Amino acid sequence: MAHQQQGMDSALFERRLRPVYDNLEVGNNRKALQESEKLLRKHPNLLCARALKGLSLLRLGRYEESHSCLQVVAQEKPIDDSTLQVLSFCYREMEQLDKIVELYQHAVKQNPGNEELLAHLFVSHVRVEDYKAQQAVALQLYKAQPKNAYYFWSVISVVFQGIRGPESAIPEKRKLYLALAQRMVDKHIKEGKMETEQEAFLYLHILKLQNKYKEAWEFLTGELCAKLYPGAPVSMKFELLKELGNWKALNELLQQLLEADRDRWDYYKEYLQSCFELIKSSPTSEGGNQNDTLNSCHTFLLHIIESSERKTRGPYLARLELHKRMRAIQLPAQQLIGDFDELIIEYFALFGDKSCCTHDIALFLPSISMEQRQALANKLLVESGISSTSLPQTKEHMQKHICALQISRMCGVHIELSVDHLLAFYTALKLHYEHGYSSFGTQLLSTEMGPSDPYALLAANVMYDISIREQKSDQLFEALCLLQYVLRNSTSNFHVKLLSLKIYHMFGCMLGAQEMYDYLDIKQIQLDSMGYVHCNLLPLSGRFSGVRNCYDATLKFFTNSYKERLEYIALTYRFCTFSKMEEFMNFKERLTNSLLYVACSVEAQICDLVSCYGNVQQNLTAYVAMSIEPADDRIAWNELSDNRDLEAIIRWDPLHLVDAEADRKESYDQEIEVLQIRSLMLRLFASFIDLYHAPPSAKLAMSNSKAILDTPVEETATIELLRESWTGLHQRLRLMNYKPLSQQFLVNLLPTRLHLLLELSYERFFDDLAQFVLDLYSGASQLAMQCKKISENVAAVMEICVQTITDSNEWNGKDGLWKRRTHQQKVSACLEILSLYAFLLSVLNDKLQASAKTKTKKKPAGDNKSKDMPQIISEKERSQMLQELMRQLKHKLEACDAALRIWKAPTLPRDLSSFMADMSLKPEVEATLIGDVSATFKESHELMITELRNLLKDKIRIVGK
Amino acid sequence: MTTLRPFTCDDLFKFNNVNFDPLTETYGLSFYTQYLAKWPEYFQLAESPSEHIMGYIMGKVEGHMDNWHGHVTALTVSPDYRRLGLAALLMNFLEDISEKKRAYFVDLFVRKSNKVAINMYTNLGYIIYRTILEYYSGDQDEDAYNLATFLSDMRKALSRDVNKKSVIPYTQPITMRELRHQLRHDG
Repeated sequence: MAHQQQGMDSALFERRLRPVYDNLEVGNNRKALQESEKLLRKHPNLLCARALKGLSLLRLGRYEESHSCLQVVAQEKPIDDSTLQVLSFCYREMEQLDKIVELYQHAVKQNPGNEELLAHLFVSHVRVEDYKAQQAVALQLYKAQPKNAYYFWSVISVVFQGIRGPESAIPEKRKLYLALAQRMVDKHIKEGKMETEQEAFLYLHILKLQNKYKEAWEFLTGELCAKLYPGAPVSMKFELLKELGNWKALNELLQQLLEADRDRWDYYKEYLQSCFELIKSSPTSEGGNQNDTLNSCHTFLLHIIESSERKTRGPYLARLELHKRMRAIQLPAQQLIGDFDELIIEYFALFGDKSCCTHDIALFLPSISMEQRQALANKLLVESGISSTSLPQTKEHMQKHICALQISRMCGVHIELSVDHLLAFYTALKLHYEHGYSSFGTQLLSTEMGPSDPYALLAANVMYDISIREQKSDQLFEALCLLQYVLRNSTSNFHVKLLSLKIYHMFGCMLGAQEMYDYLDIKQIQLDSMGYVHCNLLPLSGRFSGVRNCYDATLKFFTNSYKERLEYIALTYRFCTFSKMEEFMNFKERLTNSLLYVACSVEAQICDLVSCYGNVQQNLTAYVAMSIEPADDRIAWNELSDNRDLEAIIRWDPLHLVDAEADRKESYDQEIEVLQIRSLMLRLFASFIDLYHAPPSAKLAMSNSKAILDTPVEETATIELLRESWTGLHQRLRLMNYKPLSQQFLVNLLPTRLHLLLELSYERFFDDLAQFVLDLYSGASQLAMQCKKISENVAAVMEICVQTITDSNEWNGKDGLWKRRTHQQKVSACLEILSLYAFLLSVLNDKLQASAKTKTKKKPAGDNKSKDMPQIISEKERSQMLQELMRQLKHKLEACDAALRIWKAPTLPRDLSSFMADMSLKPEVEATLIGDVSATFKESHELMITELRNLLKDKIRIVGK
Repeated sequence: MTTLRPFTCDDLFKFNNVNFDPLTETYGLSFYTQYLAKWPEYFQLAESPSEHIMGYIMGKVEGHMDNWHGHVTALTVSPDYRRLGLAALLMNFLEDISEKKRAYFVDLFVRKSNKVAINMYTNLGYIIYRTILEYYSGDQDEDAYNLATFLSDMRKALSRDVNKKSVIPYTQPITMRELRHQLRHDG
């Protein structure tokens, strides 16, 4: 048939197909389907029209029909480009990448040597990372069209077989592949055919992978490379000279480079390393050579400092680094370079007015003792020239003061002060902020940050220190108001937004948090790297449907990038960017395995099951559309990736008390455990539903054909298995004895939900529920007993919910905010459990009712087996028990609702009228500021109550029928 | 005090401190990946000694014949690392690479209202080559004119352009449509 088609006028068909394409493009899939069917009536053999029909069906979610439609087209083994494009598009959408390979293999077979088809076949292998097949196709391509690109496609495919493919783990194989790749390029060079810089890069890369550094050096400094690759980064030279141990040449090269480029830290770092390596490798073990080398290093740095017209930080920092490195190996640094403190003070005097000065000095603090640090911090404060009775006279002067204060905090000076001192310090910071704002900060562009903002940021950290020490929210709440005030003056200060966001979350104020999050305008890949500040904190925060938007925005980014992930890699082949291919492949892995992506998908599904509000049939349809497959754990646990940009939140916490890497690891480990619990809970719950509401075959059509052929297992096996995992997981987690994340500093991450999930009765509730579902299914005699257990569990959950609200109201008397988040989390968790339970009961009831009606025809399969057993409980009785459970649940839900109704909005700390009285705020500004913050808390609470009560109302409805 | 190195995909996870700046746009992934795949050496990053990202430059090289030129697509420096000459360093790098690729000139677009940036580029030797009118709607009626943005197309000649032909400024503004038309013909 395909041949027939070739003879026809392709332009004509293209015109006829246009409306189908157009409709698909604008998302009008129904119309696209109609148009394609119309076309097929006239031209039943027009493969492209059939393929487009398949695509339209796919887009409409009619997977089974789409599947068979596409299969028909594929069996015809099409060769025309448009049909192939549509088919591969569909397969890509369905993640059936191997089918694209097959498709083009057939096409190439019928049309050997066709460059375009071969190129498509090559890319289809790229998508599945089949390097061996890539190599073969690339060579065919080169034979068909001797282009350099194709030749080097085959070279890189050989390289990847050696370093990434299945055989890369075998050293001999790796060696063979790399040697082969080198020979291929050698041959090409000999024939004078190397043409581009990326080809030159690839050759260097192949040599380096084989540790052939000498050859690489010769090539890099040779004529051909100079011609093809003039922009080769000089760092390649460093790398090779280091590998070759040629420290002297490296040392000289860097001196040359530094003469010309005096502010390059990468050069200084390499330069210093070369000096120390020269000492190590010098033949004389006496001090002579050592001194010479270090002397000349020091002299060189001094020469740079003295001969520079414009003062740059480079040589000064290099001198400090030299000092540090000498001390590290017990060399007389002070003797050669001078007193360390003096050097730092000199640096501070020169560069203290730059905001990066703090980061610079911080680099060297860990190399000195705690005592020296604190003494140094005091010297810097003195050097800044600001005392308790003076104010900075210029912006630069102020920046120096800020820098000295930030360093003091890093040195642990503040942490040792008493609460009274800290409060006085806070007041001083506040005054400095206000003074700086009115003196230097009023003429700013809206895109600039206020120059005195860092005072306020520091002030917020100090107030947190007090709050954590006193376990009271007053001071931190005041800090929040201060930050909100700063934000009015300095609308683009993202540090202020990030800290406010954190405090709002800490106080359970979802509305405030959402405002700050929106204000940050987080989008695209930031949704992944910054999701930890908001999106990851939303589950069980007090809202369900209210946070769905945020999940959606995040998931939309992830699903889009998941779809595009392989096309990025294809792009590097298209442009022959060999230097970026591995990087792109690793990036793809990192992005698609983002922990946030997986966690967010799971939470969104749980959220949907909790808040579904239709009738039983509608809810079940929604459930089926989620295509949860309980038996199948689809999370690649070992590949999960931590993509959080934790350093985006600025901090000056005492260096000796912060271990950022350990904190990252601890929080990441706990987040993974939370995901374990949540995903298993979701699967376990889905297995309950599936037992009564078997998944339709449409779901299977989408999944890989291999999975369908599983041997039939007993329906209840999945539940049994998951239940075992569920209790096993909890047992393990209790043994692991995780500690809640440290809350010592303001920018620390909030505690994960791990302890909340373990503390509440999730484990027992779902374990008992599993037994109940099984007993109900089989009609086992212990069903009545199990019902009793369940209703006790439900009562207990309700009790916790009501008790938590009572506690929260009581806490309002002493501190309305400190425990707010914990209380909201507990109530949310209780309502989550009860909502899922209500959904399950409504499904079970629906099924039992239905089977009661058709009783004469057929009983559920499970009954047949247990028929011979004695004491089987009749369906009628089961139905009655279920009705009773629903009646009880309704009662409990009403009790929760009654508690929600009297849940009071948080009372805010102390009398706010005195707040910021000592600042030069106009009274009306102060009034609106505090008014706004208070209103945000109040409104946030009301929104939560309204949403939760609506949720309950709906659950009461579905079990009340 | 800077380390200059090629921008990598992983940096996309870590550039928030730079990208939270209101004048810096965070683009879709395909935008970054296209630049990284097509002009990898034109996407450079400046890193501080404490390994924070201080800023980055993103550009490309394109055009035919004597229009073969480097283009700056984005240049951004984190608020914490301003007034250190970082933008100049990154611009130098891009000019240097363009020299090596035998380009005739380097150009860039900047909003005419962004006086700070125009000033900086002028100090680096760029001239306003022409003004481009960008309409929010396709029509050139009066309302649209009021909504129009003026972009300055700034240029600096490189050594290959011996007679400095590429930097003879236009006397009249041109519209975005005319510019696109030109670009299509220049390739």
